[in-house]
Amino acid sequence: MLARELARQFPTVGLDTDALDAARILTEQRLPGLIVLDGDGRPHTVLPGSQVLRFVVPTYVQDDPALARAFDEKSADALCDALIGRTVRDLLPARKDRLELPVTAPDATSIEIAAQMTRMRSPLVAVVDGSRLLGAITVSALLTHLLDPGAAR
Amino acid sequence: MTTSLVIAAFVAAYVLIATERIHRVAAALWGAAAMVVLGAVDAHTAFFSEETGIDWNVIGLLLGMMIIVSVVKQTGVFEYLAIWSAKRARGRPYAVMVMLVVITAAASALLDNVTTVLLVAPVTLLVCDRLGVPPVPFLIAEAMASNIGGTATLIGDPPNIIIASRSGLTFNDFLLNLAPIVLLLLAVFLVMCRFMFARHLVIDPERVAAVMDLDEREVIRDSRLLVHSGVVLGLVMVGFVGHSAFGLEPSLVALLGAGALVAISRLEPQDFLEDVEWATLVFFAALFVMVGALVEVGVMADVGDWLVETVGSNYAAAGTVLIWGSAALSGIVDNIPFVATTAPVVQDLVHAGGGSDQARALWWALALGADLGGNATAVGASANVVIIGIAARNGHPISFWRFTKYGLVVTVVTVAIAWLYLWLRYFALA
Repeated sequence: MLARELARQFPTVGLDTDALDAARILTEQRLPGLIVLDGDGRPHTVLPGSQVLRFVVPTYVQDDPALARAFDEKSADALCDALIGRTVRDLLPARKDRLELPVTAPDATSIEIAAQMTRMRSPLVAVVDGSRLLGAITVSALLTHLLDPGAAR
Repeated sequence: MTTSLVIAAFVAAYVLIATERIHRVAAALWGAAAMVVLGAVDAHTAFFSEETGIDWNVIGLLLGMMIIVSVVKQTGVFEYLAIWSAKRARGRPYAVMVMLVVITAAASALLDNVTTVLLVAPVTLLVCDRLGVPPVPFLIAEAMASNIGGTATLIGDPPNIIIASRSGLTFNDFLLNLAPIVLLLLAVFLVMCRFMFARHLVIDPERVAAVMDLDEREVIRDSRLLVHSGVVLGLVMVGFVGHSAFGLEPSLVALLGAGALVAISRLEPQDFLEDVEWATLVFFAALFVMVGALVEVGVMADVGDWLVETVGSNYAAAGTVLIWGSAALSGIVDNIPFVATTAPVVQDLVHAGGGSDQARALWWALALGADLGGNATAVGASANVVIIGIAARNGHPISFWRFTKYGLVVTVVTVAIAWLYLWLRYFALA
């Protein structure tokens, strides 16, 4: 099955989208990540759910994970307050650590898509025709197809 | 001709180390290799000579303490102490700062400065976050406290380890001569913090409850290892205090302690070797070869003779120049190569003075100047650089000049008090 057949419409956000709104899209639709579009509407990068967590968990706790145990539940519940007033741009890692957008062509085969996901350690791949976003393929959609190749045909 | 070339190679390597144009380890290795190629050192002098070779006592002591730190940090005791002290201080910012500064200074006297600040800084950020106070004054105070605290003991700061090995001074000599002044300096430093950071230390009664809600017992990761580490660390300290009586070099005490902790903890090698800074050990080894070459070709003896003639018996003046000169240079360049190079010269001066208390005061002048001088600038000591990095990663950047503004004041005051102490104790009242 080719990428254009596996691709599904996928929610996108802009660099200036409110961070809380982006987090809600992730949770409500149970997505592994979001495709971030630049100012011209072209795919820019991927915002994985883990990056949102990395933003809300204080860096000093990431440096010394034992400190997480000192947090009481009330403080843990307030962690997502860090997203208030922030945009998707703020959530993205520093440019040098930013994920290169995993892109595949519409005629890529499933093994090419799998290789792309593996190489870039990305839970989703954008299917782009020129500069037009056709949709995205998640790791679960790809695995579903690979486990039962005949089902989708 | 060889002597000139050896001096040129030494100066070139030293400039590369000081300017950090290339990594300091690469620069020192380059310098050591040049000494070998120039014929100033051979395998025997580099590896087996006590006077001009690699000082294995220094390497062994550093390695042993690094392994001990790797094991102790797995227990969570530092995080426990920091949260416990913040709660004891009832969330009052200045009281919290006093507690954290004292803990940092005490830990730095026994362990490596960088490791101490690496362990205390994250928990400081947590406490400041809860109190709603800016963490930068706390972090700057901790970096400086680690440099002041590390001055107190033979094992507190690498320059002291080099001085101990060159001079033959014992752990107790350091404790009796440096610890009293360090205690005084720490008290003065705490008063200075009160004035330097006063406008940042404002209490918000509503935030205090957030600190009191922290549970310090939760951060203890392995209570069994904590007890065992405490016992072994206590024995190691007994070993240091009595190393002359036991006939054991401090390096062997540290390595025996490290071995005991490794055996008891049953940690994997990657865990108990986690904090071993191999690059630092190689840097030390290469430095010793570089300095040993200068001794071999007679440069150090010539400098020593000239200084002995110049100084005569005026050790008070020599101590004054040494403490202020060391402090000024250590604020700008790495104090480890500085002390490694200066130590053989001071050794000659002390020897010429017949090992009198006045002559031996030069060792204390070198240690106090080199250790306290590290506070002068943002790059004066490794602990400063580490703290600034942690602060930046957590969204609280500390500029070079912001640190240096406080650092220069603290250095001038602490070195002036230390100089007065030396003069009173070893000259005026001797």
